[in-house]
Amino acid sequence: MKDIFFDLSVRSVRLNFLRSILASIGIVIGVVAISSMGMLGTNMQLSVKQQLSSNVNTIMISSDVVRTTSTAGTPTTSQGIDKSTLNDIRNSAGQNDVIPIHRTNTQFTIGSTDGRGSIIGLDPNDITKFLTIDQGTNIKGGSDALVGPNIASNFNMNIGSRIKIGQDNVSITRPTVRVAGILAARGFTSDGVNTDNAIIVPDTWYTDHYGDKDLYGQVNVILKNIDTINQTEAAINDKVNRKTDVIRISDASSRLSSISSTLGTITTFILAIGSISLVVAAVSIFNVMMMSVNERVQEIGILLSIGTEKGEVRRMFLYEAFILGIIGAGVGGICSLVIGYSVVSAMIGNTAYFFLPESIIYVPYGMIIGVIVCIVSGLYPAWRASNMDPIEALRAE
Amino acid sequence: MSDVPLIRLADVTKVYHLESGDFVALDHVSLDIMENEFVAIMGPSGSGKSTIMNQLGILDVPTSGELLINGKNVAGMTNLERTHMRRDIIGYIFQKFYLIPLLSAYENVEYPLILKYKKRDTTGKAAAVLKSVGFDSQMSSHRPNQLSGGQQQRVAIARALVNDPKILLCDEPTGNLDRKTGFQIMDILTGLHKEGKTVILVTHDPKIAEYAHRTIQLEDGRVVES
Repeated sequence: MKDIFFDLSVRSVRLNFLRSILASIGIVIGVVAISSMGMLGTNMQLSVKQQLSSNVNTIMISSDVVRTTSTAGTPTTSQGIDKSTLNDIRNSAGQNDVIPIHRTNTQFTIGSTDGRGSIIGLDPNDITKFLTIDQGTNIKGGSDALVGPNIASNFNMNIGSRIKIGQDNVSITRPTVRVAGILAARGFTSDGVNTDNAIIVPDTWYTDHYGDKDLYGQVNVILKNIDTINQTEAAINDKVNRKTDVIRISDASSRLSSISSTLGTITTFILAIGSISLVVAAVSIFNVMMMSVNERVQEIGILLSIGTEKGEVRRMFLYEAFILGIIGAGVGGICSLVIGYSVVSAMIGNTAYFFLPESIIYVPYGMIIGVIVCIVSGLYPAWRASNMDPIEALRAE
Repeated sequence: MSDVPLIRLADVTKVYHLESGDFVALDHVSLDIMENEFVAIMGPSGSGKSTIMNQLGILDVPTSGELLINGKNVAGMTNLERTHMRRDIIGYIFQKFYLIPLLSAYENVEYPLILKYKKRDTTGKAAAVLKSVGFDSQMSSHRPNQLSGGQQQRVAIARALVNDPKILLCDEPTGNLDRKTGFQIMDILTGLHKEGKTVILVTHDPKIAEYAHRTIQLEDGRVVES
């Protein structure tokens, strides 16, 4: 059924087209503000979460006994994660990557310059699972090495540079590695592998020179899904620490959750700022609705006197507010997509998450809120219209 | 025709509370109007003509006294019941026509049907009534401001008639029309009276009042001649 009161509202909006459009623009701005602020916040959260979880999706496992290190050539028997423990970890880690890590500190010499830094032994196949090679290639030969960007720039290293590892001692010939690649900067990491000042060597080279075969200082488990962190840790713990505590398990996920909750607060805050514009829009809709009621007093008088129910008069004005809301929300929704996309791409520089449901949901949210704001703003004017005294109203000019 | 009056005012008083003091617009008025009467209400301005029309049109309730319309006490009805009574048994014809400006001539006539049946008219009744008052059907899509006064009043009469009211309340129906058109409108009202409607007419014009079979004179809120 085509409702005559809806018809009347449409005609009234059309009759006062400019005024109605101007009022709707307020809603457009409000919807755009809410939607784009919401999308901005969500995209920021998603993007920061992604950046962080490249670090925090790692479970760090170390031996429960503090271990001492040795210098090159003079290995000491030390406690670490042995082969059977590693197998237990692999078995309980499921599909996730398990990366055993050898590490110690060493002196080294490049050309005639001496330096000191970490030396990390890794299976070359594991390297690309969590490290990025900026220049050159991954380790191919047994005496290839990768170097961190700080070490590379401090010592002017290039692909092919040679590093002598170990303390300078005239009595022995120090082993040499060749720089195959330079790693990208990682900065402060939360997986315990700080490579910016490190030399990465193949695990075979490491155990040849430092011993510790099948005995690892640290084992990292890189999770495919960050949400499984607790159950994976529990599985490893149940398996390995069954009788006595053999390993220590730690992660940085608490840092992620605290940052996520901070970002959530920021999102709420910017949403609140966005809603101020909707409050302004509500006032302008209210104003236009009051004008519409005041201009149509006589018409309201006619409607009431010939038997229109109060509820029907109310409905007519609420329809009018609703139409303004729909126009505003429709245009606002489209503008939100365009403006939201621009804002996200300008401020976050990454629109990969823009069309995800968590982000794009703010457009319908904004639109619904816009329509609701219009209807709420129309409540009082509609109530006022329906409660006019028909005699007084008819007398109005 | 039954002996029970269609409209009964018993000792009706209407007092308006103004800042300057109370103003008695109707002062103990008692009056019966039978079904199918043609009544003219006359009197100088301020005599209470409009007030009595508002009472008869159930737009207002008496301060004291009883007003019975179609056997029902107006004061005892809810707002919604009064609204439905206005819609169903009373047809209003105003001096200024009071058509709904946003609706076409046809829609203005259809409107009371929509109020009553909550749906658009598919019976052709609105068009038939519009035709019966001599309105040119070619102009039925015109808005009121595109029509002459006489045409507007025809539309207004059609609107008043479309729900088959028992009572037609006419407030100076010819006041805004030239003499010739005024008489045409009066002819229509006379015809409606002959068809069985109760016609109540407020006018200044004795020539117009002559159409009625009974004239009620008001002065200072009292009936001086009935």
